[in-house]
Amino acid sequence: MNLFLFGLVLLIGLMLPPVANLMESVMIIHMHMQMPMLVIAGFFMGQFFQRRFPHFFSKYNQEGIPGILLFIIIMGYWMLPRTMDEALTVNSVELFKFISLPFLAGVPLRDSWKKLSKNRKNYTIGFFTVIFSGMGWLYIQANDQLCNNYLVVDQMILGWGFITMAICMVIYLVYTAVVDPSLYE
Amino acid sequence: MQSAVKATSFNQKTNQILGISQEDARISKSYLSIAFIALLLGGFLGLLQGLNRAGVLQLPPWLNYYQVLTAHGILLVVVLSAFFTIGYFYAGLSHTLGGLLPKVRKMAWIGFWMKIFGFVLVVIPILKNEASVMYTFYPPMAASPMFYFGLVFIVLGIWMLSLGAFTQVANWRKNHKGQHLPILAFFATGVFVLLVGATAFVAVEVLFMIIPWTLGWTDGINVLLARTLFWAFGHTAVNIWYLTAVSAWYVIVPKIIGGNRWNDLLTRMVVIPLVIMNITGGFHHQIIDPGISESIKYMHVFMSLAIGFPSLMTAYAMFRVFERTARAKGGKGLVGWYKKMPWGDVRFLSPFIAMVAFIPAGAGGIAQSTNQLDQVVHNTMWVVGHFHITLGMSVIMTFFGISYWLVPYLSKRVLTSGMNRLGVIQTAIWTLGMVIMAISMHIVGLFGSPRRTSFTTYGNFAETLGWNPYMVAVGIGASLLLVAVILQVYAVFNLMFFAPKGVTEFPIAEEEAGAAKTPYWTERWGIWVVLMLLVVSMAYVLPIADMIMNAPPGSPPFKTW
Repeated sequence: MNLFLFGLVLLIGLMLPPVANLMESVMIIHMHMQMPMLVIAGFFMGQFFQRRFPHFFSKYNQEGIPGILLFIIIMGYWMLPRTMDEALTVNSVELFKFISLPFLAGVPLRDSWKKLSKNRKNYTIGFFTVIFSGMGWLYIQANDQLCNNYLVVDQMILGWGFITMAICMVIYLVYTAVVDPSLYE
Repeated sequence: MQSAVKATSFNQKTNQILGISQEDARISKSYLSIAFIALLLGGFLGLLQGLNRAGVLQLPPWLNYYQVLTAHGILLVVVLSAFFTIGYFYAGLSHTLGGLLPKVRKMAWIGFWMKIFGFVLVVIPILKNEASVMYTFYPPMAASPMFYFGLVFIVLGIWMLSLGAFTQVANWRKNHKGQHLPILAFFATGVFVLLVGATAFVAVEVLFMIIPWTLGWTDGINVLLARTLFWAFGHTAVNIWYLTAVSAWYVIVPKIIGGNRWNDLLTRMVVIPLVIMNITGGFHHQIIDPGISESIKYMHVFMSLAIGFPSLMTAYAMFRVFERTARAKGGKGLVGWYKKMPWGDVRFLSPFIAMVAFIPAGAGGIAQSTNQLDQVVHNTMWVVGHFHITLGMSVIMTFFGISYWLVPYLSKRVLTSGMNRLGVIQTAIWTLGMVIMAISMHIVGLFGSPRRTSFTTYGNFAETLGWNPYMVAVGIGASLLLVAVILQVYAVFNLMFFAPKGVTEFPIAEEEAGAAKTPYWTERWGIWVVLMLLVVSMAYVLPIADMIMNAPPGSPPFKTW
């Protein structure tokens, strides 16, 4: 319950207009800080829903694959330049962002992550590594302004953000591949 | 495998009974010797500065004020702190992990000589007045290239030592599957991870920016980028020493007062967030820098204040341990229990004053991390007062307290009551000197007196003449501090070579009885490192990409002295 409240307070805090305006004023903070924090808010609230609707999660998310697919779809959707633009200009899309990221990405991630095998977890991270590298390349290389609301330089910075995150994920994958926990644990 | 386990636990037992092996002790003693020689030299140079600023000493023409300031900073901020930290943690790794592995010893010596070689390269241009760039070596002030080559070797030495520490820890974990790393080794791991993370930034700055620029291969340098890379290192360095001091507060001090360690999970949860969130705190040193947008600075205030949270946990944990222990010894009353603390024991007194000093020191740090407040004190003597109270009290007084048991432990001698008394006197003089100096620095800083400025009366301008009494107080403080430095250095070398032979314990407190089991996830260092990298990349990509993409033409090198 405490975690649920923490997640809810985080979500409400992120939705407050001054906070949202500040975070959305910079492209990379919009995508790489506000959006992940919304997912984290949902992740915190997830346990409440798991307890409230155990049957639903065990029936529809038995091995965690539907949940992680939903997570990937929602994350993929919010990586598109067009959707960020719309969130800034169309209120209903902004509202959808504040609902979809916590409840359709954060909550399923919470339920799915523990159910996934180690390989599936690594495939998911590997998938995001590829996507992040591709998106990074796109945002750095694109000479045209991809979002009406952000400058070309902003999208290049976002591109570098994608690349550095991809590097971090590669480091993690190499770490899991090279280090055998059974030697230590 | 089983024989390896047996060998390690046998080593651990021998270590506990016979004390540290001679080879391991020699490593730590070498590091500590260099640290305290640096303290003596740096303290003497500090006195010169203090007396100059007080207006009672004019430096001879062959000795520049800024040259003295550079040497004072390098000796105390870089040499003393780093050598002590490494000597202390290597002794800790040896003691808690069953003796250093032969290859780790070799790495420690290679690291030692790399660092010494680096320092020689750094010191030569300083002595020749070709590197009076102060210890922050901000471009566009440019020193002789030799100064920067020296820094490269220092960093390489640190990497070698970190690799040695990681090798030792990994080996222990392989032989103790599923066990928690002993708490002092856990702190050491955090410190060495941070050392690698921090020095990576300064290595990029020095290798790819400053050296090509001072050699004339590039015309200009991106000053803002260089400062940003410097502070990612500089701020983390400060917190590395702080974390080292904190390790003694959690692990050593409870044992010295006859108590127990409280809450292992909380202790480890102080180390982990400090490792993950530390590097990005560097931005609060740049609050006044132009070229970083206000929204970025505002967001970074969160990162800086986030580091304050583990400190608050520490404050709570420490005073809980004190109160519990004192009450167990018969202490009574709301505050009367404090009488039961071992005030006459320098091994407790010095770190205790260090902890108390951290209250105003931390509060001052929070003031400086706040944009509007920092605008009043930035680049004034306030900042100098701040790092004298943080480094000079919270960190160094803890190191002093450690030296009174670590040095006799390493040299298989004992702390006599006479030497303890000397230590108490030394602690009192140091405290008095530092309090006088730091308070007057803070006040005169609030009045606007700039830091890093040789003595001047500003053309006898009435307003600035009012600063002089405070600067005289700084001189008095510096004089007292040198007396304390001499006593401390005498104590260290006496304990190392002349004190009576005997057995001194490495005081590591046990956990309280019935303590909850610490979850195993605290041991997943790979994940903490990746999280650290993620936080660093999130924090730095935007400002650094902005600084590179919107870079000005760059500055040529300047020699301002």
